Amino acid sequence: MTAPLVVTRLGAARYAAPLVALLTALAVSACLILLAGGDPFAALQALLSGAFGSPDAWSEVGVRTCPLLLTGLAVAIAFRAGVWNIGAEGQLLVGAVMVAWLGTRATTLPAWLLLPAVLCAAAVGGAAWAGIAGVLRTARGVDEVISTIMLNFIAIGLVGWLVHGPLMEAAATYPQSDAVVAAARLPRLFSGYRVHAGALLALAAAAGTALLLFRTVLGFEMRAVGLNPIATRLAGLRTTGALLRALALSGALAGLAGGIEVSAITYRLYGNFSPGYGFTAIAVALLGRLHPFGVVLAALFFAVLDVGSLSMQRAAGVSSVLVSAIQAIVIFTLLALDRWQRLEAAR
Amino acid sequence: MQPLLSLRAISKRFGALQALTDVDLDVTAGEVHAVLGENGAGKSTLMKVIYGLVAPDRGTLTIDGRPLRLRSALDARRAGIGMVHQEFALVDALSVAENLGLALREPGERLWHPARIRAAARRLAAEVGLDLGELDAPVGTLPVGTRQRIEIVKALAGRTRLLILDEPTAVLPPEEVGQLFAVLDRLRRQGTAILFITHKLHEVMALADRITVLRRGRVVARVACCDTDGATLAGLMVGPLATPAEPRPAPPATTSVALAIDGLSVDCHGSARALDDVSLQLRAGELLGIAGVDGNGQTELFEVLTGLRPPTRGRVSVDGQVLSRFEPAAMCAAGIACIPPDRLRQGVVGAMSVADNAVLDVRLLRRDGSWLMRPAAQRAVAQELIDTYAIKAADLDAPVRALSGGNMQRLIVARALATEPRVIVAANPARGLDVAAAEAVYAALAAILARGAAALLLSTDLDEILARADRVAVFYRGRLSQPLERPFPVERLGALMAGSEAA
Repeated sequence: MTAPLVVTRLGAARYAAPLVALLTALAVSACLILLAGGDPFAALQALLSGAFGSPDAWSEVGVRTCPLLLTGLAVAIAFRAGVWNIGAEGQLLVGAVMVAWLGTRATTLPAWLLLPAVLCAAAVGGAAWAGIAGVLRTARGVDEVISTIMLNFIAIGLVGWLVHGPLMEAAATYPQSDAVVAAARLPRLFSGYRVHAGALLALAAAAGTALLLFRTVLGFEMRAVGLNPIATRLAGLRTTGALLRALALSGALAGLAGGIEVSAITYRLYGNFSPGYGFTAIAVALLGRLHPFGVVLAALFFAVLDVGSLSMQRAAGVSSVLVSAIQAIVIFTLLALDRWQRLEAAR
Repeated sequence: MQPLLSLRAISKRFGALQALTDVDLDVTAGEVHAVLGENGAGKSTLMKVIYGLVAPDRGTLTIDGRPLRLRSALDARRAGIGMVHQEFALVDALSVAENLGLALREPGERLWHPARIRAAARRLAAEVGLDLGELDAPVGTLPVGTRQRIEIVKALAGRTRLLILDEPTAVLPPEEVGQLFAVLDRLRRQGTAILFITHKLHEVMALADRITVLRRGRVVARVACCDTDGATLAGLMVGPLATPAEPRPAPPATTSVALAIDGLSVDCHGSARALDDVSLQLRAGELLGIAGVDGNGQTELFEVLTGLRPPTRGRVSVDGQVLSRFEPAAMCAAGIACIPPDRLRQGVVGAMSVADNAVLDVRLLRRDGSWLMRPAAQRAVAQELIDTYAIKAADLDAPVRALSGGNMQRLIVARALATEPRVIVAANPARGLDVAAAEAVYAALAAILARGAAALLLSTDLDEILARADRVAVFYRGRLSQPLERPFPVERLGALMAGSEAA
């Protein structure tokens, strides 16, 4: 007899809530489309065919899922440990910087070494960036919500400076880095499609995160600290250690997300390199119930919305901005359901 | 003389907790009436009933002989009742006058007249005879005593004839307590009735005219201040002193010292020391009880010994080894285990399963040095604790908060003792438990004491301490008395708890 992998069992309602949130968001969105004079069913159909209608669409969903999944896992692991890491975006950018830097500078390394090296560097960079917030918290009591948000802005500024300065392309035409050498690029899975090996890495990371959280003492400590830091401390755990480890792991996953984007998709670093993956990640993690497998589904869902929204705009004349509204409504509904369930439980 | 306010047979129940049972209370104009009781005795609930914040299940209130129905605090204000809460309701960024203006403005008044508000504030302060300092100073910059006086003025505005103060001295530094008492004394002479909640005996003796003592939601005594003394009141608060039960066989006096505390002090910012030069020696096999009215240092001693709070001064050693780091992990490693007073908050992770909570001290899991969380091994550890301590937990995977309080406490005790600690610090370990569960907890403690460990029992229940402890020391205002030996001199204990006998 084995214990279930999902240890926090609060009944089926906990896992039904994301579905209810999803349906609510779709219903509200349908009303919005009606109000704007559109046809909700045509819009939904266009959205789905845009995301699943062709092999290329499938590939693009995979491309989009990868950074959302990795940053979503990053946020989930931190939130599980009660560390409010809002800085996945900054950690992702630092990871991207590491790949752009090593991938254009350490070009003498052989391919079998360079690719793992740049990805490891991305993870280490993200972990170090998150570690700044961790040290500020444990040594000086600085709230990590504030520090990780601030570190996002610093990372954005850092990227801006690098692409105008030290990492600017040799041609010095655009504010972007040179393309990383072929040896630092992640292979694509199918020729002609952009979906790449990073998507498999991200799935492996989800499985690894699940194993870490539910099958190691380290993960057990993180979860316990996140749920009740005082009781866990009194039982003899060094909570500062658990907090630092969770933040470092979280940063590493986010850094890896940025590194993979450069290594597999953009090849270059430039200013608005990330469309806010690290912020969407918070929504992904919450929708996924902070469970690695839930995060996989949530990342996939957000990717489908993103990829399908453009064809929805083309085919049904519904603005792709509506997709942002759907995403927001999902989160709001989820939070409302959470609150309601907690009140019910307290009654 | 007709009482201003009368309560008859007030009862209130919150879920399983009977907060008040048939409480009668009379308050007359021009008296300071103290309501005395331990934490959880029902004082605050009673005051909320009088101020309209809690509706009693049964019972009646009358004011000037007329029945009084309170649906909200507004009704209480209209009836001439004002209350100063422990938490001040002041806007720090606004001036004294503006804060008073916020509280005093007429319903329906839409415009803000700075000059009129200042004039009204000054008039009111003069009427009450309270010094509020500079009326234009932002409230946030003022000392806490001044802020409390602003709250008193707010509570007195209108035609307030009964003023309720909820533990008013809890927030004050000692030098401001005297000023507050002078204010209350003047209000009394002006004919205001004052209801004063506290669990500090010396304050009651210094100020009150009459005293009502509450214990477990019932009135256990109504006395005039001049007819009583601190020791009697302490006895009334904590309950009848039962004859000490049959003592456990005393540990041989020659055994080694398991825990030594030397000159331990904890300073609190801006008030008296929470722990003042505390020293004690705990012999192997001994259970030392620490008695005292709640809030005299028990919490701080628990926090220091479990590593939650570093002491300002002093040394702690276990088996002769002086501890250098005050951090829970270091304390556990040194062999100090704890049974915390608040089970759900400090003892278990409520959302996690019984099996997870059994191994919350991960040393139990990592006996083989593995970093893996193997469900089979984890369940074996949990099952062993459950079998050894007869814990009723049908489902190891159910959230631990589904357990009854008694079984949850047995699990906490089982986990604490499973690492074979040298010293157990138990804070109110039997609080809220039925007899069987309490006996089980003490049987477990007795078993580990027999194996040479030592235990410190911090309890506000004197009966519990008298029944269980080998020796008893008493806390009063952060100072710990010399331990007393069996048979315990009950009168002396009462005197020590009331602070009327020097430690």
